[in-house]
Amino acid sequence: MNPRTALTRRLLLAGAATLLATGRPALAQSKPSLLRVGVEGNYPPFSKMGPDGKLSGFDIDIALALCEAMNVRCQLVQQEWDGMMPALRARKFDMIVASMTITDERRKAADFSDPYYDVPSRFVARAGAFRDASPEALKGRRIIVLRNTPRAQYLQQRYPGSELLQVNKETDVYLELAAGRGDIAFGSTVVSGEAFLKTPQGKGYAQVGPTVRLEGGTGVGVAVRKGETELVGRINAALKKIKADGTYKRLADRYFDFDISGN
Amino acid sequence: MALLHGYGPALLQGLASTLSVAALSLAVACVFGLAGAVAKLSASRTARAVAATYSTLIRGLPDLVLMLLIFYGGQILLNDLGAARGWDYIDVPPFAAGVLTIGFIFGAYLTETFRGAILAVPRGQAEAAQAFGMTRAQVLRRIVLPQMVRHAIPGFANNWLVMVKATALVSLIGLDDMVHRANLAAAATREPFTFYVAVALLYLAVTTVSIAALGWLERRFSLGVRRVEF
Repeated sequence: MNPRTALTRRLLLAGAATLLATGRPALAQSKPSLLRVGVEGNYPPFSKMGPDGKLSGFDIDIALALCEAMNVRCQLVQQEWDGMMPALRARKFDMIVASMTITDERRKAADFSDPYYDVPSRFVARAGAFRDASPEALKGRRIIVLRNTPRAQYLQQRYPGSELLQVNKETDVYLELAAGRGDIAFGSTVVSGEAFLKTPQGKGYAQVGPTVRLEGGTGVGVAVRKGETELVGRINAALKKIKADGTYKRLADRYFDFDISGN
Repeated sequence: MALLHGYGPALLQGLASTLSVAALSLAVACVFGLAGAVAKLSASRTARAVAATYSTLIRGLPDLVLMLLIFYGGQILLNDLGAARGWDYIDVPPFAAGVLTIGFIFGAYLTETFRGAILAVPRGQAEAAQAFGMTRAQVLRRIVLPQMVRHAIPGFANNWLVMVKATALVSLIGLDDMVHRANLAAAATREPFTFYVAVALLYLAVTTVSIAALGWLERRFSLGVRRVEF
């Protein structure tokens, strides 16, 4: 194949990849001195933006700690959740530290580090409204859940008799619940606790049923472009290092009163 | 401001970026719109075909789809081109992508607004100017354009108002506009209502001022025309 047709082919492929989001081998790249890290800002206590425009939260702290352990300069890039994967593929940044749960589906589009935390899920509803969280008890009722998540998939499979109300942000799950647009919410125990049950809005609501660990999800990891195994190795080494030297525990204790590491 | 938990200045910064996106997009849209209108009315078959394709295609696609295609698709294309030529990573900043995309989209709408306005200028005017020996460009610049402005303003005002609100789309590609700031503030404080109302009021302020300004402009360009003659 001559170089010209190779280029044309690449362009066509790029167009197709944009539309279909199919896998494509990563381009060879030398070790960058600056890593750009994609983070969110809509997911307290993992990430949020203060009045001064500064990002804070557990994801942010972990991202910075990983960079320090890897001994590289990092630049945080704030990105809306919906555009996270496309932006990674378009090289807007080199890694995602945004509470992204590792799933088989996502593994097709990106490579993941070892999990850096794992939080179980749980149902939340008006206290006393449901006797338990079994598919029978929830039959014909409307469950609110974040779209494009293992949780939404879990509900689709296990609760075929219930209707799903899928929302765009984890915090919206509880806004919808409080607004009465659904009967029961299914989400991360950390968010339902911190962002809802502990606030005035969450009065009169309670958790329903046991905590659930999804088999489809294997914790939350750092995502990098497909094929960047060297970077994954460095991230995993950095994660081991911050767990070993106590940094991880120090950061986690700022936000959570239980072990979030999933070990 | 106490109501906004200290996020007031952040929202105003967002307003500044919303306004700069809107103003620059308008400039881009006017260029595309004028070129499109002139092309649609030109004698050249090719120019007419290109302009027709442009306005049909763009007006037929959702703004959001186009925005995502240009921002992510364009970036991947550029990366691949760069890899083939040995360039470094070239970033398409969300600001430029937003301005170009919105300008490109609204240029298609303005094409029709401007075309209608040009048609509203009596043909005899251009013919008279030609009889005086002016070139085509001179006829356009001295005779047609100044008179078409009056006819274009109502449609133009519509497009501008819709466009100001369409800039909210750029928050999706990561530009720090007003809606984006409000989203983040709403998540951090868990008071979505407060921030969305604040943003709604800011948009309303912008559009109210725009309507007043465009009204003045319309009166200014209608000086030679009496109100009763339609």
